[in-house]
Amino acid sequence: MHHELAFLYNYLIVGAMLFGIGAVGFLARRNMIVMFLSAEVMLQGVSVSLVALGRFHNDFGGQVLVVFIIAVAACEAAIALALVLALFRRSGKLDIAVWHALREDNQPAFEEPELPELPAETPGDWPKLTPAGVQPEISPEDTDYRRHV
Amino acid sequence: MFDPIKTLLILIPALPLAATLLTALLGKRVLRERSHLPAVVAVAVSCLASLVLLFQMHVETDRATGQGNGEANQAGYERVVTLWNWSTVERAYRLGGRPDETPIAQTRDFRIDVTLRADPLTAVMLATVTFVSLLVTVYSIGYMRADPGYWRFFTYISLFVFSMTMLVSVNNFILLYVFWEAVGLCSYLLIGFWFQKPEAAAAGKKAFLVNRIGDFGLALGIFLIWTTFGSLDFQDVLSGPGGRTVHDTGHVQGAAITAICLLLFLGACGKSAQFPLHVWLPDAMEGPTPVSALIHAATMVTAGVYLVARSMPLFAASVDAQYVVAAVGGLTALLAAVIAVTQTDLKRILAYSTISQLGTMFLALGTATLAGVTAGMFHLFTHAFFKALLFLGAGSVMHATAGVIDVRRLGGLRRRLPTTHWTFLFGCLALAGILPWAGFWSKDLILLAVGRQTAPLFGVLYVMATLTAFLTAFYAFRAYFLTFHGKSQLPPEAEEKLHESPRVMTVPLVILAACALVVGALFELTHLFGDFLEQTPSLASASAESDQVPAETLSHTTVALTSTLVALAGLALAALLYLGPREQLVRRLSDVMDRLGLYRLSRNKFFLDEIYYGLVVAPLKGLARLCCLVDRTLIDGLVNLCGRVPLWDGAMLRPLQNGMTQFYALGMILSVLVLIAVLLI
Repeated sequence: MHHELAFLYNYLIVGAMLFGIGAVGFLARRNMIVMFLSAEVMLQGVSVSLVALGRFHNDFGGQVLVVFIIAVAACEAAIALALVLALFRRSGKLDIAVWHALREDNQPAFEEPELPELPAETPGDWPKLTPAGVQPEISPEDTDYRRHV
Repeated sequence: MFDPIKTLLILIPALPLAATLLTALLGKRVLRERSHLPAVVAVAVSCLASLVLLFQMHVETDRATGQGNGEANQAGYERVVTLWNWSTVERAYRLGGRPDETPIAQTRDFRIDVTLRADPLTAVMLATVTFVSLLVTVYSIGYMRADPGYWRFFTYISLFVFSMTMLVSVNNFILLYVFWEAVGLCSYLLIGFWFQKPEAAAAGKKAFLVNRIGDFGLALGIFLIWTTFGSLDFQDVLSGPGGRTVHDTGHVQGAAITAICLLLFLGACGKSAQFPLHVWLPDAMEGPTPVSALIHAATMVTAGVYLVARSMPLFAASVDAQYVVAAVGGLTALLAAVIAVTQTDLKRILAYSTISQLGTMFLALGTATLAGVTAGMFHLFTHAFFKALLFLGAGSVMHATAGVIDVRRLGGLRRRLPTTHWTFLFGCLALAGILPWAGFWSKDLILLAVGRQTAPLFGVLYVMATLTAFLTAFYAFRAYFLTFHGKSQLPPEAEEKLHESPRVMTVPLVILAACALVVGALFELTHLFGDFLEQTPSLASASAESDQVPAETLSHTTVALTSTLVALAGLALAALLYLGPREQLVRRLSDVMDRLGLYRLSRNKFFLDEIYYGLVVAPLKGLARLCCLVDRTLIDGLVNLCGRVPLWDGAMLRPLQNGMTQFYALGMILSVLVLIAVLLI
């Protein structure tokens, strides 16, 4: 009995950690895709807890529910990614802060806090790898936002 | 079984109603300049039906008199036709206690049936109304030609004829009130017929508002009748002096009956333009002239007289009310006659004359004797003819001169408008009461009835009435001489277009002139009118007790002689002053009068309009301004406060909606944590 309870705790701890990581990710990141991924992680944390509890109580309800959650999460992923795509097409950015424009009229605008200068990239620091294939051409716009991802 | 009286009673109002609907629906698009057709046909058939009804009633009353030996003579003849039940409230009236305690026998339903009645009083009123209406409608074809509201005019006129015929033929006070208001509505619509004119619109409003005061009294009177008698049907309430309650607890006496009478009389004062509610009638002359002739001279304004005559059994039981009616009538007659003397607007002279004549009728009704009531109704009958005639004559003058109505701008129209001149002269002679024109006979009867009363008040009123007769003759002929004699004062552009009115207008004038000449002598010398009217059961029973004719204190000849002499004196004075160039004399006389203060009083209508403005209109305007202020600041302030509170709430919560998704997510997570914490603790 003790053994099984400890077993359950392991799973619950993993679920809680997943949930916490997801929540922190969701709150801390501004890239919409990453935020979405964080939300998925939170969902999976819950799923793990559900499966574990279901097994502990010897009840298949938990697993059934998780199967549903996975199915729904798949649909949700399709919709969410479509939305993200649409928003990206409109603004050209994946930054959620762009949609800060949807605030109430008389609220102060969001100001990008000054980022500290990134340390100059010294190519010498990186391990030299043999280039594989043709180097993809990267437009300056892409590099522009990638840096902040 | 075919029932002629019932059919006629239904037919008389139904036809004008049908004409109203037809003209209202089709007038604007289909009938257009033929809009008069439904109205004329309907009123003509109604008139015919009324005359047949009159004849039928005469036959019936004769039979009633013949059968009962003397006793039926008192009862007279009446016929009540019930069409349908309008409304019923069961056990509405009870003698006392709670409804569930009162035995059934002591309760009574509130029951309003749509009933029509036929008795001599109604028959006479119906015949008068429809006859004059017919002539005026025909006259309007010429007068209103080419008016943009042609169809509207005939719609209103036929609606009026419907309402008026219903008013005189219904059989209970509620329906009476309904049609009382309906004729008031028609009056309002027709006064304001040319509503683009601000004066006309204001006059319509004034008439409506002043009438409201009277109607309020009438409504209260009806309520009081219900609580006193437990019934609103004429045959219950008006079954004898003081009436009879539904439980036969005896005749009602004392304060209740006086209050009822005074309230009813207040209603009559409003509708019949008696002092102090007469101020609307002169302004009502803003309406088209045929309307002035029909509604504001011949028919609608006599509704008040009809009401008092109809309720005579009640008035018979209250001497105080009789005195009030007689005094108000006599005072109004004199006051209006004095005002009429100095007015310069031809139609306004006639309007004040109408008020004065109506006052005379009330004076006659105030005697509450059979002779007095008969005389009053007879005067109503003759007055309808000659006053309609005078107004239509004035309309004809206006038509000829393209709207000139100020007697100072008229003159010398005698040769240019021969038909109008002769008919107008006949009207003036009838109004002045010169033998053998109609006015003489009816006025004579009134003076006789008043003079024979023993109460000292009636002595004063007799003198006042005689003075009124003098003034009446004077102002009637002043208007006549100024309009048709002397030098023409017309503006040149009117002079050019001067023409006699078309035949469709002159024929009604001639018919009315003939009536103004003969109806008085015809019905008085044969005693046809009086004998017929006495067969009205309510009148007969009402006057049965009060009609103890005192010893002949005043002979008929004396009265006739006095009134004729007085009228001739008035006529002679008018001729002296206004026939021929005697401007200096007129001026000197008006100077003398001015020094006495009389001239200015009369010219300014005794400042009554100004007094009303100061006493009623101005305070009410002040009150309205106060209400406006309260409304704008207090009430609106409260309402706006209610609107502002959510605004403030919103302003407080608005920072939450800052557009940062992470902020929302953080809010959600923190809330969930708080929730969990609350659940766990």
